[in-house]
Amino acid sequence: MTIYPMPRASTFGIIGKFAVAIVAVVVIQGILSFKFTLFGFFDLPLIFSVFYGFTLGNPVASIVIGSSLGLMQDSLSGAVLGANGLSKTIIGFFAATAVAKFAVDQPVTRIFALFLFTIGDGLLVTILGLMVGPASGATYSGALSGWGLSAMFNALLGLVLFAYHDWWNATT
Amino acid sequence: MSRIVAASKKPTWIALGIALALQTGLISLQARRRIDTSFVRVWILDSLAPMEKLVDRSTYSLGYVWKGYVALIGIHDENERLSHQVDELQMQLQRNREDLVELQRLRAMLSLSSSDTGKTVVARVIGRDPARSQTVTIDKGTTHGLRPDSAVITPAGIVGRVIHSSNFFSIVQLIVDSQSAVGVLLQSTRRQGIVRGTGGRELDLDYIDDDNDLKAGDTFLSSGLDRIYPKGLPVGVITSVGPRRGLLKTVQVRPSVDLGRLEEVICIIEHTENIDVADPAQGASSP
Repeated sequence: MTIYPMPRASTFGIIGKFAVAIVAVVVIQGILSFKFTLFGFFDLPLIFSVFYGFTLGNPVASIVIGSSLGLMQDSLSGAVLGANGLSKTIIGFFAATAVAKFAVDQPVTRIFALFLFTIGDGLLVTILGLMVGPASGATYSGALSGWGLSAMFNALLGLVLFAYHDWWNATT
Repeated sequence: MSRIVAASKKPTWIALGIALALQTGLISLQARRRIDTSFVRVWILDSLAPMEKLVDRSTYSLGYVWKGYVALIGIHDENERLSHQVDELQMQLQRNREDLVELQRLRAMLSLSSSDTGKTVVARVIGRDPARSQTVTIDKGTTHGLRPDSAVITPAGIVGRVIHSSNFFSIVQLIVDSQSAVGVLLQSTRRQGIVRGTGGRELDLDYIDDDNDLKAGDTFLSSGLDRIYPKGLPVGVITSVGPRRGLLKTVQVRPSVDLGRLEEVICIIEHTENIDVADPAQGASSP
């Protein structure tokens, strides 16, 4: 089978679409969290890191997407610069490599993955924040319940987005 | 096929290594504080915040049209009710003016300068943090005189402080953030203390001279001793006083400002030093 190289304009077009999508995800997260307090429990950059990891199945692209999403997320928040970047990079990588090992098209797998990735993300970002920043006065029980809620919300929203993606693929 | 997969794994590890090294390097630089990494944040903030502002302006305009035209149906009754309320408030205002004149006279007698929040600039909140910290983005930056540690308030009380500023935008750490602490004094007894954010909706009392006379409903004002917030602004109200945990009772404080509904805030870009003098009320109550 002969593989023809992709035209340059098409490559730029695809990269451009991803760049716009990444920026839109971070901006939408910022605006919706401001307008609706409940949306603060969702982590759209995390969901999209997993989403791209699962749907593209390309580790390099998922690492770049996760890394960019996390870095932008850090820049628009008070978090340590690089904390979410590091976390989302790892999430993107694991999500993409999981495609070859697990049936990521199953809702149960998706819910389980989103739940675990959210908890792992919360844990890693908090540890990095504590290592770099001043000691936090937050209680760990409070943080854990926050991650738990966030994990449930992310799993549910992720499930809807994945289902929409499946439906879109089936109809087009 | 296995060879193709094996060959294609190499760039994956290289990409992962580069990405992790980049992010870890950024974190490490901040920990060591040797090189200023704020330019990365400033670039991204200046690139993304205008989009947030654009969307915010668009939704605001749509909301304005809705509120100004569509939602005016049946407004007559509310207008009548508000007219009565205006009459009552005008009477209240008149009484307050008299109180103010009296207060100024008393202050002059005690040789106290009237409190002044200093030079301020009004900013609009255009976004909330996309991570888990309690921060908001405002549409004013270093060009408007803001810098890290500028106090951010509303007429209802203290909101937080600026932690990062780009040319036209700033990130404000809310007082409920777990990294935030405010020097306070109890309005009734003038006891000094510190309240700390919990990362949730309330604040915890971290320190106070004496916690025996604390009760729900007491108000905390800013003490000015943290050199960030001017003295005398409302910080929060005690919602519950629990059993002693360590040296202090567990005291929950609800912020005076509804931080979930912030729209416009006042940023203090130059505040006059408020000298912490003994309060007349304390002098009167002391033996």
